[in-house]
Amino acid sequence: MSRRSLLRGTLRGVTPKIAALILVTVLVLVVFGGTIAPQDPLHQDVAHLLQGPSGRHWFGTDYLGRDVFSRLLAGSRLSVVTALEAVAVALVLGAVPALAGGVLGRVYDFVANRVADAVMTLPTLVFAIALIAVLGNRLTPVMLAMGFLMSPQFFRVTRAATVTLSGEQYVEAAELFGVSRSRTLLVHIAPKVLPTIVVTAATATATALLTVSSLMFLGIGVVPPAPTWGGVLSSDLNYLSQTPWAPLFPAAFIMLTAGSLNILADAARDAGRGGRVLVPAVPALATDPDDLEEAAHDRISVA
Amino acid sequence: MTASLLRETSTATTTPVLDVRDLSITVGDGAAEAVRSVSFRIERGETVGLVGESGSGKTLTCRTALGILAPGCTVTGGTLAVDGADVRTVSRRDWRSLRGRHVGAVFQDPGSYLNPSIPVGRQVREAIRAVSDLSRRQARERAIELLALVGMREPEHVYRQLPGELSGGMLQRVLVAIAICGDPNLLVADEATTALDVTVQAEILELIKSLRDSRGLSVLFVSHDLAVVAELCDRVVVFYAGEIVETGPTREVLENPQHPYTRAMMRVASLGDYTRRELDVIPGAPPAVGAALPGCRFAARCEFAQAACSQAPVQLTPHGAGEVRCRRADELVLAATAPERRSA
Amino acid sequence: MAIGVLTLDGAGTGIDWRSGRAARYLRALGRGVGIFVPVILLSTFITYGLGALSDTNPAAAVLGETATPADIARMNHTFGLDRPFLSQYVHWLGRALHGDLGRSYFTQIPVSTSIAQRLPIDLSLALVAIVFAALIGGGLGVLAATHPGTWIDRTVTAICAVFMSLPAFVIGIVLVVAFATTLRIFPSAGYVPFSLDTGQWFLHILLPAFALSLETAMSIARQLRTSLVRELAQNYVVGAEVRGLRPARVMTVHVLRNAAGPALTVLGASIPVMIGGAVVTETVFSLPGLGQLAVSSAEQRDIPVVQGVLIVTSALVILANLVVNISLGKLRPGRTR
Repeated sequence: MSRRSLLRGTLRGVTPKIAALILVTVLVLVVFGGTIAPQDPLHQDVAHLLQGPSGRHWFGTDYLGRDVFSRLLAGSRLSVVTALEAVAVALVLGAVPALAGGVLGRVYDFVANRVADAVMTLPTLVFAIALIAVLGNRLTPVMLAMGFLMSPQFFRVTRAATVTLSGEQYVEAAELFGVSRSRTLLVHIAPKVLPTIVVTAATATATALLTVSSLMFLGIGVVPPAPTWGGVLSSDLNYLSQTPWAPLFPAAFIMLTAGSLNILADAARDAGRGGRVLVPAVPALATDPDDLEEAAHDRISVA
Repeated sequence: MTASLLRETSTATTTPVLDVRDLSITVGDGAAEAVRSVSFRIERGETVGLVGESGSGKTLTCRTALGILAPGCTVTGGTLAVDGADVRTVSRRDWRSLRGRHVGAVFQDPGSYLNPSIPVGRQVREAIRAVSDLSRRQARERAIELLALVGMREPEHVYRQLPGELSGGMLQRVLVAIAICGDPNLLVADEATTALDVTVQAEILELIKSLRDSRGLSVLFVSHDLAVVAELCDRVVVFYAGEIVETGPTREVLENPQHPYTRAMMRVASLGDYTRRELDVIPGAPPAVGAALPGCRFAARCEFAQAACSQAPVQLTPHGAGEVRCRRADELVLAATAPERRSA
Repeated sequence: MAIGVLTLDGAGTGIDWRSGRAARYLRALGRGVGIFVPVILLSTFITYGLGALSDTNPAAAVLGETATPADIARMNHTFGLDRPFLSQYVHWLGRALHGDLGRSYFTQIPVSTSIAQRLPIDLSLALVAIVFAALIGGGLGVLAATHPGTWIDRTVTAICAVFMSLPAFVIGIVLVVAFATTLRIFPSAGYVPFSLDTGQWFLHILLPAFALSLETAMSIARQLRTSLVRELAQNYVVGAEVRGLRPARVMTVHVLRNAAGPALTVLGASIPVMIGGAVVTETVFSLPGLGQLAVSSAEQRDIPVVQGVLIVTSALVILANLVVNISLGKLRPGRTR
């Protein structure tokens, strides 16, 4: 299935188009967020604390009198970029060993799978907290750890796709002609696995965004007063009784971004169904390669 | 409804087991009429074969008799009565008393009609408990009896096995056991022997025959394998493009076909390969499902067609011991070689 | 293992150890153990290795600034820190398996004690959340699958899309605002132990568990819908109908049994997420659980406590996955070799 037709198929219908629009907007905010904000996100207007939405402050002010709207715009970068970085790490750590598994044999396969299983059992947030205990409250190690913990997802998905594709007749034919295993991998299999990885990356970014927001909500990885979406939510919690509607704004940002990613991922998956975009379920502790293959044939969505 | 059902069947020495009158069915949410005004009957103890190509309407008809028409398919005219109960008026709850007790079914690819995760014996037992009041233990005994009845040599062992562990022939026997466990009057067999290899086919046919003889079971046997039909059925009903084109006693129809289509089919069959699936030796193709044609639906491919054939609808008229839908039936003398009886 | 349970058909048949169902189960068990043991080892190794990343010297941390190098060396020896890394790991693991997770650097309270105190809270939260997720997800999935293409189906899909994109703590906050602060139906904070007052326990745990369960419930609903639609199209459903079985029975005994597999897998994969999410939910609802413990210990760089929490939560995840895998094996016996 060609890239272009996959793209077109993904964007069919009203909902995916809206989702794409939202994501483009978010991207703009990420790049330019701080500069297009109407006011300085750090400026404290002590005369107007905890104000509701007004002409001057579209989303109101927080407990220090800062403009919420500007804070959320500026906070886009930290929240979204951290999530993207984590996904990038996860992708590399997960997909590469999976592709390599195509050439390296059964022992490697077994070990790699067990490592993936083990990593999947570590709860992300608890691990991140543990990391903070060890290394101090810095964002980079947390982001790397998140990537590390998400890599099994990519590993599983890529492996399932590789296993299925390796069974395809044209691959077997290539091997019979004497093409080396690694070349087969690079030329035939890797390009076909790419769409699968992209779809997984989309859902993973959504999940990562939620996790990053949770971490920042807990105060992990942030250096105040730099704004983040999760951080804004955290301060909102303390003043809930006075401004109960306040959490709506940061929540909306998170939800729209994550939701758009999920919608596009779904649309891409459905569009790819005509072709061979396989996005299997991520089994808990998968054992049988049969199970994985079965899941791959099911083309079930990644949660 | 249920009470009246029982009343009807208790006096049912004369009620046909299956009574189809002017049945019409549309498919695709009314887009096409796939079955047009079809009528035939099955009396108690009779075995009737429905033959025709895929898309001729025979499968739709037998699904209607079971109440399992796919969504989008509707009965738009006529009636179909199973043991006296008109399916157009039967509610979902009533179907549960009809199925298993009045009508049972076996299908092609028997394994796919069983739950792959549950041992077959338990599925037989489940079917028994659905049509009787037996306890689990009693039903289990009965299930083992049934498995023995349908020819399993080690019924206790088979009871515990999963469908994936049994051969096609054994699976079909299991389906037969399930189909007859409620002692129905009618067994619907939709291509029941098609996917099986020749020796197994013969065994299943023998099984059906013995059940028919011992229980007075009526059989509606759908197939496009004429040799099998020849061996099993008392009467045969030939479908073409949603209509019945010929009916009659099996021997008569197969040895002395009156309709050009039947004749063409026999000619193909008599070329020696009874298991051939496509009847594409007849030049041309059947009309699209539901296509509205002014006259005879076989005219385009008929070697005896005249201009008048395509001008007005042709009725199904009595002819000899059966019926035929052809303007020229009386004129044409159609003789064909009878398909040879295969040895079992 | 009660092999007798395997022959559920009333009359017992002989147990065939070498082939048949007993052997199938033994083989599956063997395979399961062969897989879980390495996983447990690797997981604990990573956890322990985390501590080694620290640049804090525990001895120095405990003894304070006035410690002399000799004191520190002695402390190191007591802690076993002068032994090779692998040996340290093995010893640590051995102690952990006996329930000894070390002591807090600062309070000297045994870590296992602190954890044991708070574990029931998180267990309650997680278990109730899992039940909620299964019920809500299952219900929505069945609802959508039995009315495919209708407004019911589309509404369910929309609900799933929305709630899958909301982190648990946001939902928690909304719930607190709606039900606790404004409507005052449920308490907004605190925890009452199960043994003390079941009614109050449930009231306090209801909102947090619900908030925690939603994301998973949505994943389950989507997966179940897909699987159900696929199963409902299978021939054996027609076969079951044709036999005169009641529709409810066909759905539960046959269809759900076969469709539940991938949904159960999704549930299993969500357990780490839920256990992690419990941490944040605790914050929103002021529940004194492991999460609070971990966060406060993390701020103080109290490594043994944090390691203890990590290993306990991982162990819970592994245990839960074991249960899920066993259930999957029982659900689909045709698929074990």
